[in-house]
Amino acid sequence: MSARYRNRAGGRVLGVWLIALLVALVATVQIRSQVEVERSFAGTDTASLAFLIDNLHRANDSLQAETADLTQRQLTLQSGSDTAADQVLTDEATRLRAAEGLVPVHGPGVVLVVSAAGLQALDLQDALNNLAVGGAEAMSVNDRRVVLGVPVQQTPGGVTIGGVQVQPPWTISAIGDANRLAQAADLMTQQMRADRRVRQATYRVEADLVIRAIVTERPFVYGS
Amino acid sequence: MRENGVMSRRRVGSIFVVAAVALATGFLVAGQVKVQLLTPSNQVARYQALVRSVQELEASNAQSRLKIAVLRSQIDALEAAAAQRSAATQALQSQVADLRLHAGLTPLHGPGVEIDIANGVPGADSGGEVGYLVNFKDVQDLVNLLVANGAEGIAVNGRRITPLSAFSGSGGQVIIDQGPPVSAPIMVLAVGDRLRMEAALGDPSGLPDIRAREVQYQLQISFRGRPDLALPAYDSSLDTRHVGTL
Repeated sequence: MSARYRNRAGGRVLGVWLIALLVALVATVQIRSQVEVERSFAGTDTASLAFLIDNLHRANDSLQAETADLTQRQLTLQSGSDTAADQVLTDEATRLRAAEGLVPVHGPGVVLVVSAAGLQALDLQDALNNLAVGGAEAMSVNDRRVVLGVPVQQTPGGVTIGGVQVQPPWTISAIGDANRLAQAADLMTQQMRADRRVRQATYRVEADLVIRAIVTERPFVYGS
Repeated sequence: MRENGVMSRRRVGSIFVVAAVALATGFLVAGQVKVQLLTPSNQVARYQALVRSVQELEASNAQSRLKIAVLRSQIDALEAAAAQRSAATQALQSQVADLRLHAGLTPLHGPGVEIDIANGVPGADSGGEVGYLVNFKDVQDLVNLLVANGAEGIAVNGRRITPLSAFSGSGGQVIIDQGPPVSAPIMVLAVGDRLRMEAALGDPSGLPDIRAREVQYQLQISFRGRPDLALPAYDSSLDTRHVGTL
């Protein structure tokens, strides 16, 4: 009897140990899995990663287009002809003058009209940056040309661009990829309309927008 | 005999009950394992796939930018050689060199300021807000402040700012133009009117958002004047595909 009892008791203990082992195994796997998830997600969420991937795809496409353009320019220059070199340099000068805002330009784009009271220079800087992120290649506000080197500042009298006051309503013209700019403008005007300071914010897409205003180049005094 | 038969039926019944409970527990555990273990491991795999994509795209981005820098340097040499042969070409090359300098396509050096900005600490009551992180708007505000106060050239963590530069990002990531994201600590170098820039950076009314978060989250910003700073050339695309001159 006592031997049978010991056997049965031993079996029960073994069963309890097996169950405890199984529970410990499941718990360990569970905890490790959760820790791994938490460690992986530390820093960046999946939405931010998706945003990054989208951005990097577009950036890499742009870089590849630039590489192809530069390779073509290099081949033209390697032909050794003076005419070819002059043409390459003339084209480059035209492109850079447009990028720096030194010449009037035209192209597809959007025009935003923002009627508001109390908007600050920071609001205008944000709007211009949003359009630049949306692919703006040339911009003006109330017929004042804006590139990143032109100061947009807050003064007691209001917002100034390059030292000249720009009173609302602001008419912001941006030339670039019209589809991307329209998406950016749509989002911007929605957000602006939610701002109590903004009376009206609208935009329209134009197939051929003209920006005649130019920036006067300042010679460098300190940098060389 | 009858009592033994009843006992035996009871034992068989209890064994069935125990077996049924064990089976149900087994199904429950299996279900729990499936829901609680497999889903997170799928999430990890998906997340890791996204991270791998970002890493591959960043590697390709770095390669392209390196290639662009090499091509621009080779083109410079070819243009210089062409300029040796003709006065007209030389005049054109000089104009282009000046335009490239202003556009940030060539290295720049001179006196200026170095600004260092680093993340603060999350507040106890921040409730998931990321105000303690340096974000793209901080960099944008800093660049605009420097531009308004005599900067002639600016670089952010080694990325040169151009007339068409744009800032974006989410959380603590800062994306400048076509480069990979950068995050704090961020070093901004600006060549230009050093005294004006130092005065603007020292003005407590400037950079209001950063100043407020300096107090709330201990965001760290410091600057110092430097007699000679070197800025690298822009190494990405200055995209003007949609713009035509009149």
